[in-house]
Order: sequence, then structure tokens, then C-alpha cells
Amino acid sequence: MERLRRVSVNLVELLFLVLLAAPAQAASILGDEWEKFFTERVKFSGYMENTTGLAVSAGNRFFAESNRFVMNRFVIQPEFNLDFNEKVKLFISWRFVKEPRYSAEAKSRHRVVSYFPVAPVQPLPNTFYDEDSFKPWEMVWNINPTDQLNIRLGRQFISWGETDGIRLLDVINPQDGTFAPPAAPNLFNLDETRIPSWGIRTLYTVRPVSNTIFEFFALPGFWDEAKQRVDEIVGSNDTGDLKVRYGRWSAHPETRLVLAGRNAFGNLFANPINPVLCQTATPTKIGCLVIPSTSRELPDAGDSWKIGTRITHSIGKLNFGLGYIWGFNPQSTDMVFKLKGVTCSSPIAAACAGGAAPSVATLRLVNDRTNIFAGHFNYTVDEIVSLPLNTAIRGELAFYPDEPYNISKFPGPFGLRAGPHPRHPDGTVEKNTLRYSLGFDRTTLIPFLQEDPLRPFRMSFQIFQRVILDHEDGIHPFSTAQKIKMVSTNLTFRVSTGYYGDTILPDVFVGYDPAGYWNLNPAVTYAPPWNEKVTVSLIAALYGGHNKFNSLGFFSEKDSVFLKMRYQF
Amino acid sequence: MSKANNRLSIVSNWLAPSLLAVLVLVHSGQIRAAEVELKPGETIGPNNWQRVQGMVGENLLNRIKGGYTFQIKEPKLYKPLKEYVEATEKYSKNVKLGPNGELLNYAAGLPFPNFDRNDSQAGPKLAWNFFWRWLGDDYKTGGATKEGKINRFAIEKDGSERRSDLVSYFIFPRTRYMLDPKPVIPGYENIDYMQLRIDSYPRDTAGTTTLEIRYDDPKRVDDLYIYLPSIRRIRRATTTQRCQTLAPSEFVLDDINSHNGKITDFNYRVLGEKKMLANMAQEHEPYHRKPGDYLPIDEKWEVVDTYVLEVTAKDPNYCYGKKILHINKMTYDNVWTYIYDRKGEFFKEFWGFFKPVNLSDGREVWSVGDVMILNVQNGRSTVVTATRAYNRGYPVSMFSLATLQRIQRGESIE
Repeated sequence: MERLRRVSVNLVELLFLVLLAAPAQAASILGDEWEKFFTERVKFSGYMENTTGLAVSAGNRFFAESNRFVMNRFVIQPEFNLDFNEKVKLFISWRFVKEPRYSAEAKSRHRVVSYFPVAPVQPLPNTFYDEDSFKPWEMVWNINPTDQLNIRLGRQFISWGETDGIRLLDVINPQDGTFAPPAAPNLFNLDETRIPSWGIRTLYTVRPVSNTIFEFFALPGFWDEAKQRVDEIVGSNDTGDLKVRYGRWSAHPETRLVLAGRNAFGNLFANPINPVLCQTATPTKIGCLVIPSTSRELPDAGDSWKIGTRITHSIGKLNFGLGYIWGFNPQSTDMVFKLKGVTCSSPIAAACAGGAAPSVATLRLVNDRTNIFAGHFNYTVDEIVSLPLNTAIRGELAFYPDEPYNISKFPGPFGLRAGPHPRHPDGTVEKNTLRYSLGFDRTTLIPFLQEDPLRPFRMSFQIFQRVILDHEDGIHPFSTAQKIKMVSTNLTFRVSTGYYGDTILPDVFVGYDPAGYWNLNPAVTYAPPWNEKVTVSLIAALYGGHNKFNSLGFFSEKDSVFLKMRYQF
Repeated sequence: MSKANNRLSIVSNWLAPSLLAVLVLVHSGQIRAAEVELKPGETIGPNNWQRVQGMVGENLLNRIKGGYTFQIKEPKLYKPLKEYVEATEKYSKNVKLGPNGELLNYAAGLPFPNFDRNDSQAGPKLAWNFFWRWLGDDYKTGGATKEGKINRFAIEKDGSERRSDLVSYFIFPRTRYMLDPKPVIPGYENIDYMQLRIDSYPRDTAGTTTLEIRYDDPKRVDDLYIYLPSIRRIRRATTTQRCQTLAPSEFVLDDINSHNGKITDFNYRVLGEKKMLANMAQEHEPYHRKPGDYLPIDEKWEVVDTYVLEVTAKDPNYCYGKKILHINKMTYDNVWTYIYDRKGEFFKEFWGFFKPVNLSDGREVWSVGDVMILNVQNGRSTVVTATRAYNRGYPVSMFSLATLQRIQRGESIE
């Protein structure tokens, strides 16, 4: 009934919009005026897409570990542009997603997911990735009261920054990481993984010739679903309500939540109920096991505001901008957990004290409010000392004062990797953090690698660094017990070109962490010369590293290949 | 003695000029056909292809030999706008070339109205006349087509085709003839033009928008910003790599409007004058053609007088060996382009058809209509329908990064 009500309301809204839209004085809905309006003022487009993914490095047909058949995602996205007049336009789209899953997979996951002592834990429902709401995916009123003022109102995307594949200033909309693997822009680009937010954005061009533009946005957040205001790339493992919400690209899928092993959260805590039991170098007794009961603390309406402002300007070849964002920070990697207490997993507390049952650490995973001081620039360098460089350089900078991190004492008691920090009992600490990126883009002709010497190779190199200015030993991400150094670095390289009249389009994205991790996201797309609407892509998402509990090593068991077929209309 | 004198006289009075004429013809090579008289109504086809030899590109000539047949029609004449003529008269007296071929003291109009091809600086002067030919105060390429946008077809050698649509807006902020503010938009004194190009079809490329700014400073390269809808971000790009193809077409960045390179980056030489076949009043838009082939089926061609301009890059690493433009003496637009690769081998040929369009006050002007480019080395071609709508009064703020920040996939920005 609820769905029917939603559908009805949305259809009525749509009809209302259409009626408002036009030359409403048209005599008949089938009259010439309407036909003219729809012919000249309404544009319809969109796409259908099917993506099938298979894990190639791990998993088995019983889906006991990582699922072999990782994805079959079917998307339809219709889009409408309505040009009411030169000052008012509306863009509206819907996104419908269906991921059919094998019933065998669901049964398998039911079998392997468990919780101590006997209560069954519900794995992800088969409809977890589906989107079937008639609520518009995007609905943007584009209003231009004057030539220099633009107002965008509605459910929309706002993107700052210029980085490719990895976000730095692009933190205004949350990114849905549940269905898309990380750092794999060739599989799902950023536009496909961002979640739109309701709000307003204004752009005022103060001085066009110097691109002096003042920007302001406000996203109240309370019209969005709480879940959609946050990143979902890492599951909440919400054992409190016996639902496990690890998505397929979570660092540790639900199938790893097994009784006999410890996971990364568990490594952070030793049994505080009866520590004496665990005073061995390698505590393996069940009583030393700590099960994390983590739940996501979603922001309520009042905490969901996000406001930002920016001014951009050009001086000569230099274009730059300075901005400020205040509000809710939706980045998954910026989340922290807060320890709320320790209980016994058994209804009989004595079981933990006696070492017969693991204890449960109750954690709240939160995205705090944040302040971000933002800056960016871009500049072209034609040559240096008569050497042709022909490169566009771009930089982004984000300063987070008092950014929250988790912190623990290393090594922890009882031989564990880490334990509670004596100075920070709730396990969190705030540090000034500077993040920046530098990107170098250029196109070049490499005739000996091309059948057509003038098809360019587009190359992009990026370096990302995070510097924790008042660094303290023991800082680590919420999800693992791996320390974060004062300076952490990531490098990316991307190259793409087109062969045979741009019908064969290879594109390779590589990420590298000097700490010893990497990812590779090659893709080759076939765009048939007889139909511009169809593309077929073969894509891989490969990960590696010496530690699967850190950085890109998280995903080392999730190497996958994908076949993507897309039809645009 | 008198016989000898007579012979000498014959040699000096007749033979010598004849020899000279032969030498000139041999020297000028392809310019030989300029003397051919073609009459309106005459049909050209495989039986008389010699009639137009040298007046069309090699590839088209081969197609004529192979069966392509068309008629010759009366030439279409256009009058320059009086505002442009007045600006030429007012400003051209002081215009001159700088030491590096840059244009000095230019304000508006045709820089060198009294162009003399025997001038020692004829090459760069003709290039500047081509660059500053009348193109309106602003225009929308594709704005006068039926769909209000550019239709582009990439045609493979086997005849398969892909379509893509886009629109392109130009504004010339320092040479304004009709729209206020005239003659210069304050603050834009040093910008020759700005171009906004927006892809609209197919869906995945729709919304890809480029903003290109050409400065009058000969040392300053163009600014180029690209908005990519797949990441919803604006990226800066270099324009120094001007030979990259504009996918999936056979055009490179410098092929837009025949020759879009910075004028001072090239050397120019006038090779002569020549009659060429062109179409200054295209009858159908887009011109009728068989699927998979670029040839117009039922368009007639006409004879136009052109200057032949050889364009070679100052940069020895430039992708093209040379480009030969055929610049219409009447409009200073280019009607035929031959392109040679760095080895000197024939690479591409393209023609531009033109057609009359009207300004808002009803006056007739000309616009490029359909353009065809053929890569003779790989057999691929691209046909573009690009008729312009002039003097639309676009606000200069449209040509700023704010437009790129607000563009929505598939949206019209007008």
C-alpha cells in the first residue's frame, strides 16, 4: 500500500509539473500547442545497462567466502529535460535498479552467517541493491533570473574539485560504495556512484572575463533518507539487531563473521570481563574473543545540514578557488567508532567471566560534523626551458581542523595487536589534517602504438597525500588496527585512447600506495561503428597488497571481472 | 636578315611568352585547371572528368571517374554587410603585420582589403583576412539547422555510420558590428573569440562541454576547460596538442572552421589563384546522400575564384606536413582543404558547402552548411551539418566557467 501511495503521489506530482510547465493555456492536451511543446521543449534520453561480475581470485560455488558471482546489476535511468523558457529549465531523472541473485547464494549465506551463541544473523537481503522508488533520482530546477545568476534547486549533485577516480574535495554528495568496487572508475564512474541530495546551489558570475564566480550551496539533509546521507562502502556489521549490513565491497563481508576467528574490530579489544584468561601471547580461547557489535549512528535531521561557499577566479593562465564547507561529512573513510560499552554475548554473564563465551564490544560508527577549508587551482604549462611539457596541472587542498580519528594503544594487552588507549578512553582523538592532491594531465600522440597516428593518448597522473599535522602514535582508521602514519600517500595513473575510429576504447586506471598496495582497473570498450547507442565493456577490478587488513589490500580477495552492456536512448 | 629578324621576332613575341606560360603552368601545377570554363547546366561525370581536374580534391576526382555525376550551376553571389565594409574602411588603414606575423593596430573588419598576392607578406595577410572574415558578432553553429544543432556522422570505410550531435557557440567580443556594446565588450579587448561546445547526443557524451578562449597575444596559448559529466567536474586541458582527433570524427582541433590554429603559429605562402568547384548555396540540408557514403547525390556545384594558401607549422613536430586552403575571394571563407602528412603524402581532403541564412533584420548572409572530411589513408570520413545562426545576442557571461558548472546533461543553455 505504501508503495502504491508513493507511486500515486509521484505520478500526481509529475502530472502537476507537466501541467504547470507549459503553455498551460493550450486548448487540449492533445492539441497543437502541446505537441509543439513536447517536440521543441522536452527532451527524453537515458540508458539501460547490465553489468555482470564474476570473482576470479576467491570464492566458491557455495558462496561460503567471497561470492563467485558478485554482481548482476540491471539499471534503467530515464531522463527528461524540460525547457520552459530561457530562464527556467527542469531536469528530472529516475533510477531503477534490479540485481537478481541466485537463491542458492542467499541460502548459502544464511548457512554461513552466524552469531554467538546460536542466534541466527540475517545476511543482506536479496533486494539490498535494488532501487525501485519513483522518487526522482535527480530533479533540478535550473533558474537564471539574470545572465549572471544561476539558481539550482532540487535533488542534485554538487561536485567540487578536479580529481579523477578518487575524491578529495568532492565530499558534498555522499558516494554509494555498496555496489561499486573502490578506485575502479572504469566500472562505475563517479556520476553513477554519487547519491543526490536535496538542496539549493547558486552561482553568481561577478566578472565573466576573469571567471570570478561566487558560489553558495545549502543541503538541509532532512529530505534525504538518513542512510543516503552517508557512505555505505563499509558495512555496519550491526549485530545489535541481528542484521549484518556488509555490502559486497565491504572490507569484511558478513561471511567472515565466524565464531572461531577474530576480525579486525575484534583485534582491538581484549576481553575486559576476565582478562586473566587471556594473558597468553596468542589468546585463542573463546573467552578471549571479542565480538564487535557495531551500529551506524545516522545523523538526525538537525545534524544533516551542509553549507558551503566558494569563490573562483582567474589571473592569467591560473585559475583558482577558495571555499569552505561546514556540516555533515559523508566520507566513509572519515568515520570513527565510539566504544559505548562491553557486554557478555551470553545471556548468562558468568559465561564470559568464566571464559566460556566471548564478550561483545558495542560500537557506534559515526560521521562527525566537519569544517573543510578548501582550495583548488589549475594551470597549464606549455614548456619549461624550451622543453615542451604541454601539461595541465591541477591541485586541490582540504584542511580539516580537528578531524576525528580512532586511536588505540599499540601493542594491546594480552598479546593483541592493539588495545584501549589510556588517554583516550572512548577511542577517539581529533587532529588537524591536511589533504592535498596534485594532478598532471596531458594528451600525446604515440604514432607507433596507434593505427591512426592522430588518435591521442590521454594520460593523467595524480598524487594524493594526507598529513596529520599534530600526529600522535596509535591513530588508526575505524575499520582496522593498522596505524596511520603522519603522511600517507596514494598515486594514480590513467591512460586511455581509441583505436579503429574510436570503436575500440582501452582505458587503464592504476592506483598505488607506497606502503605496498595497488589496484588495477583496466577496461576495453567496444563502440560498434554501426550504432552509437550501444557499448560493450570488459572490465577488471584487481587489488593487491601485503596486508589484507589495510588500504587497498582490503579487497585483495575480491578481484573480479565484469561484462557491461549499455544501451543509450 | 629580315627573315632572321622575323624569326627572332616570332620567337620573342610569341614563343617566349608561350614558353613562359607553359613554365608558369608547369610550375603552378595544380593551378592549371583555373582556366577551364564551366557553364551552368553542364553535367560533369565519368566521361568528362577532365573538365574539373584540379578544381576538386584528388579523391573526389576519382569518385567522378568512378561514376559520380553532378551539374554545374550559376554562382551564388553574396554582398558583405555594410557594417563590416564600414569597419574595414575605418580601421584597415593602420593595420600592419608585426615582426612575428602578428596583427598590429587591428580593430575590426577585413584587415587587408587591398590584398595583393604579390605582396612579400601576402601569405600571413591572407591568413589574417581568413581569420577575421565576417562571422557575425556571435553565432551558434548548428543553430540554423532543422534540429538547431550540429549533426555529425562518422562513416567507416565499410559504410557503417555513427551519429553524434552537438552545438557550438562563438562570440567575437572585440569585433562587434551590430550588437551592443560595440565595437568591443569592455574587459574583452584582448580576446579574439570564445567558443562553447556542448555535446548533446548520444547520451553518454551529452553534457560534455568545452570552453575555449583565443587571446590576441601571439605568445599566449588558448585556454581550454572541459566539463565531463561522467565525473561532473571541470578539467583544464592544454591546447598545445592541437592535432588530436575530435572523437569519433576525422577532424582534429585545428580543423575546426578549416584552420583553427593560432595564426602566428604557422607560416603561410600564397600559391596562386584558382577556380574551384564549390557549393555556396546548398540546396538540401543535410545534403542527400546514400547511407554509408559521404557523396552528395543531388547537389549542384559552382565555380568560385579562390586564393590558394599553403599553411605549414612553425613547430617541426606538428602533425600535418602542410595544409592547402582554397579561400573564396568573395567571402574569405575556405571551400576546399587538402592536408598532407609529415611525409608529404596526401592525408585528408575536405570541402565546406555554404548556404544563405538571414539575419534578424532579414538581410542575407552566408553560412557554412554541410562539411565533409575524408581521411584518404584510412578511408574514414565525417559529414557534419553545421549551418550557423548569427547575431543571437549571447551574453558574454555564457562563456564563463559558471556555464560549465551548471550544465545539465542534455540541457539547452539558451
